[in-house]
Order: sequence, then structure tokens, then C-alpha cells
Amino acid sequence: MRLGEALSKIDRRIVFAFMALVVIVPFFLPLGILGRVSRPAQQVFDAVEELDPNEGPLLMSVDFDPQSMPELYPMLTSVLRHAFARDVRVVLMGLWVTGVGLGEQALNEVAPEYDKVYGEDYVYLGWKPGFAAVVLGMGKSIPETFPTDHYGTPLESLPMMQGIRNFNQVPFAISLSAGDPGALTLWIPYVQSRFGQKLGAGMTAVSAADAYPYLQSGQLTGMLGGMKGAAEYEYLVQQAGYSTAAMPAVQAMDSQSMAHLAIILLILLGNIGFVLTRKRRQ
Amino acid sequence: MKQTIPRLLCLVAGLVMIVQFFIPHSISETVFAESLRWVRIISAFALVLGVRSIVFHHGTKVRRKSSGWGYSVVTLVGMIVMAVVGLLGGVDPNAPKLIPTSIGTFSFHMQTLYENLMVPLGATMFATLAFYMASAAYRAFRARNKEATLLLIAAFVVMIGMVPIGSAIWPKLPDVAQWLLDVPSMAAKRGILFGVALGIIGTSLKIILGIERGWLGGGRS
Repeated sequence: MRLGEALSKIDRRIVFAFMALVVIVPFFLPLGILGRVSRPAQQVFDAVEELDPNEGPLLMSVDFDPQSMPELYPMLTSVLRHAFARDVRVVLMGLWVTGVGLGEQALNEVAPEYDKVYGEDYVYLGWKPGFAAVVLGMGKSIPETFPTDHYGTPLESLPMMQGIRNFNQVPFAISLSAGDPGALTLWIPYVQSRFGQKLGAGMTAVSAADAYPYLQSGQLTGMLGGMKGAAEYEYLVQQAGYSTAAMPAVQAMDSQSMAHLAIILLILLGNIGFVLTRKRRQ
Repeated sequence: MKQTIPRLLCLVAGLVMIVQFFIPHSISETVFAESLRWVRIISAFALVLGVRSIVFHHGTKVRRKSSGWGYSVVTLVGMIVMAVVGLLGGVDPNAPKLIPTSIGTFSFHMQTLYENLMVPLGATMFATLAFYMASAAYRAFRARNKEATLLLIAAFVVMIGMVPIGSAIWPKLPDVAQWLLDVPSMAAKRGILFGVALGIIGTSLKIILGIERGWLGGGRS
């Protein structure tokens, strides 16, 4: 087989093995490169930093499922750590029924680190069917839309929820979304545009590019894009001294860097093969 | 009649929702709040239909021993187990429940099942995507002409510039990648967004006015 053909027809098992190698090796031999914090990630951090613990809660929506967990779950835990470290109260909810357990998992993991008490420092509203009707309903009345929390406790009996009627009492909301329903399809058009809610977003890397027009228009206050955004937030929270917990997204960035380089290398090899075989064909 | 009543309902509901949006009056607000409650209730009924559909689809596959019927058994068993544990075992592990959700130290509470079955299964499915993406990019991404070459170069810059190793290779690379996202990519995105928004308005009007009838199922459009 000639060189051109060999380069353009690498067996897919070799490609898979090569990818597995470049993803796994950096976990054992970390490069330790973080890069710099992007402007949209810094903006989300600043917005949480500006929240007054004596005012309304930070609202977070878990709009993803376990498939997007590597990118979005570290964002959830690091924003929770940031809020809890600053004694900002948190209301958590979700628009993806398959992600309800992730919200509970994150709260069970992070709240004990800061000795936070359920009902006083944080509340989990859980999931309700209806997507647009749910967020529009919250704009009118949160207790009417969610008469009980995730565990069936009436919202009015939770001390933290006293006086929280609708988005007017929520100074900042963050949607961590992996698609539809999520930040771009529900929170921006229905919540930010209709109720003027200050909104941040955490997106998977594949959908982060779609959010840039909303960042420029100011409809999104900030954005965490993919695992890089999660790593940046973890770094900012640790730099500010709010957490000493492990940083899974920072650790995984080495693997992602190497995977990107590996894909570029494969594309280059394929194209060298393509050019060589084309010359021969001509 | 089967088409007229749904079309009439669609027309009335559509017009009412459009009109109420532009009228800041207490009656309008009440109509809006009530309609949201209706939507939430109707959405809950959709879940019932979904469960019925899954049971019928997979039940038929198991009965007929169709190809892959074993997976259907797993789906049905998984659905029944989670429903029974969730409905009778409750969401709150500390609240009183109808059935126990642990035997000794072995827990089969809904959250435990979720964290130990759903999470690793979902993560595994998505993790395999990286391998297929690498293989597909290697096979399909060819610089066949000038436009494809330009796309290829832009993709390389963004792929390296958006990960930490990019700034280690060349400190200005993240800025170049960010510019590509902020300017050319965003210009295209904005154009697409405007087009999509106008398309949504047009299609919505066609549905409300009964011109587009595809949503009725099998009707003329």
C-alpha cells in the first residue's frame, strides 16, 4: 500500500486506541496547564460574587442529564461552593426529568462541606412537567408553580422561601443546560426577555457558540462554556479561597487538550493522504 | 369534525395568548395564569401517554420475540422497578415510606439507583462519542476546495485556542480563537437566529389560522 492510501485509510481500531491513550495518559501524567480565565466565565463569577447574602437567593436550574455530567456537573458544584462559602442562599430546580437526581447529588455533596441546613440555606424544588409553563408560572408566582419542594414539603413551611414570590426576589439565576429545554430555548426568551431576570448560563462546549449573540446583547450576564468554563470557575473559586475541594474539570482539561491535538493530527494525516492520492489519481 | 374542533381550539387559544400578551390588565393576567395551570396539567397527561406508549411498544416486541426483545425486557423491568421504588419508597430517604428502601447497609433507594445505574450508563454512552467523533473527523474532514480549507483552518484555531494548551503553544492563540467566535461566527449565528425567529412567527401564524395542519396528524398541509 502506498503512503497516501495508508494515511487516508487508517483502521478505525487504531484511531480508537490512539484516542483512548491520549485521554487516559494525562490523568496519570498531568500537564498542569490551565490557561487563562475567559471573560464570560469571569462575568458569571463576578455576578455571584456581587450577590448580597441578605437579599434574595441564587436560582440554579439543572437542565442536563448524566450524559453531559462531565462538563456541567463541575459547574454546578463549584457555583454551589461559591454561593455557600459566601452565605448566599440557593434555590435549585431542574427542567430535565433525567437530571433531577444530579441536583440532589450535588446538594448532598456540597452542602455538608459548609454546614448548610436544608430549608434555611438552600431548597430543592425538583422538576415539574410543562417547561415553558413552569418558568412563566415562576415569573408570576413560585409558590403556586411549586406548591411543594422536591421532597413534598410545602414551600410556605420552609423559612428560606418566606417572602420569595417570583423572579423579583431573585437577583441572579443560572441555567446549566445541555440543550432543549435550557438557557437558550427557555430561560432567555421566556425569563430574561419577559421578566428582565439577570441570567447566567453554563453550556456544553458544543452549544456554547450559540450563546455568544446573547452575551453580546447583554441578555446573558456571563457564560461557562464546556469543561473549560467549568475548570475556569473551579480555579476562580479556589483562588478566592472559597474551596479546597478537588477540581475534576481542571484535571480533565489536560485530557481535553491532548484529545483536541490528537483529532487535529488525525485530520492532518487524513488530508496529507488525500492530497497524495489525489495527485496520483490526476 | 375531528379536525374542526382541534383547529378551533388552536385558533382561540393562539389568539387569546397573543392578545393577552399586549394587554396589561388584571383580567388578562388571570387568563394567562389560568392557561399556565392548564398547560402544566396537560403536560402531566403527556407523561401518562408516554408510559403507555413505552409499555405497548416494548410489550409487543417481547410478545412477538422480535429482534432485540431482551433489551425491551430490561427497559420494562427498569421502568417498573424505578416506578415502584419511587412511588412506594418515596423521594426523601428520611420520610416514612410504604416499602423499605434498604436492607442492612444495602440501599435501593431511588437516588441510590439513579447515582449507581443511570449516571454511569449515561456517562458511558456519551463517552463513546469522543471516539466516533475522532474517527468521523479523520475520515470526513477533507480540504477539497478553498471553502473547506478555510473551515479547516478556523476549526484548528478554535480547537487549540479554546483549550489551555493553546496559550502554551502561542499566548495570542486564545485571542484569535475568541475573535473567530465573537465576529465571523456570531455574524452567521445572528443571521440564522433572525431567520429562525421569522420562520417561527410565520409557522405559528399558519398553525393558528389553520393553514398548516400537519400537527393534526396526516392532514393536508
